[in-house]
Amino acid sequence: METLLDLWAGYGSTVTFASVNAFFALSTYAVLSTGVLSFTTVVFAAVGGFLSAQMAGKFGVPLWAAFPMAALGGGFAAAVVAGAFLRLESHWMALASLALVLITRVTALNTPLLTGGVNGLIVPLRVEPLELALLLALCALVFWRLHRSWYGLAARAVREDAAVASTMGISPYRVQFAAFLISGVVGGLGGAALAFTLQFISPETYFIGIAFTMIASTVLGGSFHWLGPIVGAAVFTALPTAMQAIVPQIEDVAKGVVLLLIMIFLPRGLIDPRAWGLRRAARLREENERRQQAAERDAHA
Amino acid sequence: MHDGASILVLDDLVKRFGGVAAVGGLTAHVRRGSVHGLIGPNGAGKTTVINLITGLFHPTSGSIRFEGAALEAMAPQDIAARGVTRTYQNVRLFSGMTALEQVMTGCWLRRGVSLWASFLGLPAASAAWRASRDHAMHLLERVGMAHRADELAETLSYGEQRRIEIARALGSDPKLLLLDEPTAGMNAAEADAVGRLVHELRDAGLTILMVEHNMSLVTAFCDSCTVMNFGRLLAEGDPRACIADPAVQEAYFGRKHDADRIQALR
Repeated sequence: METLLDLWAGYGSTVTFASVNAFFALSTYAVLSTGVLSFTTVVFAAVGGFLSAQMAGKFGVPLWAAFPMAALGGGFAAAVVAGAFLRLESHWMALASLALVLITRVTALNTPLLTGGVNGLIVPLRVEPLELALLLALCALVFWRLHRSWYGLAARAVREDAAVASTMGISPYRVQFAAFLISGVVGGLGGAALAFTLQFISPETYFIGIAFTMIASTVLGGSFHWLGPIVGAAVFTALPTAMQAIVPQIEDVAKGVVLLLIMIFLPRGLIDPRAWGLRRAARLREENERRQQAAERDAHA
Repeated sequence: MHDGASILVLDDLVKRFGGVAAVGGLTAHVRRGSVHGLIGPNGAGKTTVINLITGLFHPTSGSIRFEGAALEAMAPQDIAARGVTRTYQNVRLFSGMTALEQVMTGCWLRRGVSLWASFLGLPAASAAWRASRDHAMHLLERVGMAHRADELAETLSYGEQRRIEIARALGSDPKLLLLDEPTAGMNAAEADAVGRLVHELRDAGLTILMVEHNMSLVTAFCDSCTVMNFGRLLAEGDPRACIADPAVQEAYFGRKHDADRIQALR
């Protein structure tokens, strides 16, 4: 028990931040799984973060009510963003989403009434790691259901070939719009989770750092299954701590090397259902061949 | 041929890409319940016509009427919902999906359940999912691919992938099926099997418009055909008569006069 507590004292914050980052990675995955690369998760996180922080600080809203508000705020922002962005071609959309992240920071800096401006905001509530884990589990449950539903099938089709999907009656616009809404809700939750973990937020909190974390986590963990971003966020968050413990002298270099190795040897991420399928196909072929050879041998004998 | 017997009518259809007219004023009729061949040399504009009918391209001018409804300004998904589906010249299956999942995606329009019910996993939704699964399995059986249902489609041979693509296009119970070179890359026996499947589907009430290069298949399996060259109509009607047409012979094999000259030069 003693050692467990020691471990928690040492690595508890890593676990907490891994779960916060998992929300951001899942938000990115939500749109990426329909073929849209967008950095707007940062924007949804900012909306969710500032909204829930203000609600808690100014109106004394409790934690259980602040999170749904953040989700709604993120979802609403996503609806506005999707309406404007889905007209753009994919690479322009990625660029426009990055521009929106920059605009959001400047806007947040210049609206001190809403965001505290340069001084930031003190957040009076704190979320417990267990509560955070429960919320993440709830999100994972939603993604699990989505993956196994008609929406999941349509999302995969639109991601792989939107034109072909459209000639089968699937509207790429509607699927991607729904994906943005999901991304917004989860991004908003992540923003609130970050606010209630740090207990101090400013416009700098919701900036390029999150964009980098969410993309790296999703690419690392894999964007072809909902488990990928969660695993990716865990690895990406734990990597600096782990490297510091193992090779403190060359911590940064080691971190970079591990990231590169994963990207070179597992370009589709740590969680890759297609690789499982290919392995199963190879095994089936082998078994078939062996059976055929056995049958031939029997025929000869 | 201008009466209600035509399920699809193309009228003076034009599609320009910049200055190039890929389709330059094509008029054609496809009779309900027939197998109609769309033939012509490479670059004649056949695939462009298929892309125009399915809404992936919109025509520069002219009209496309399917069961009387104008398709030319419609989005692909709305055209599919009216009962027009297709396969592709270069197989376009979804990466990472098993054969069964591909065909189930094709069943999207007949899933018969809202996305919410499906997400919540309500009993009715589970039943509908199983029904679609069974339907997809049945279609895979029909194209002779049921034994590959759970394998990743990209690990299968080209001919097998083509058959899965046909099953996927049949998923939503279409009225008009567009096949873009369905037998490309197949051996004679496989091509023959596709031809027989096409006849079975026609006998079940489906109308089929197929782009085909293999002339013996066209004469064996098509009830009528349209021959295109340089985006225009060259000949139409009975496949045998079309292929015997001197203009068609010339488009495919060159001028008799030129052939004689080349012969004389040797």
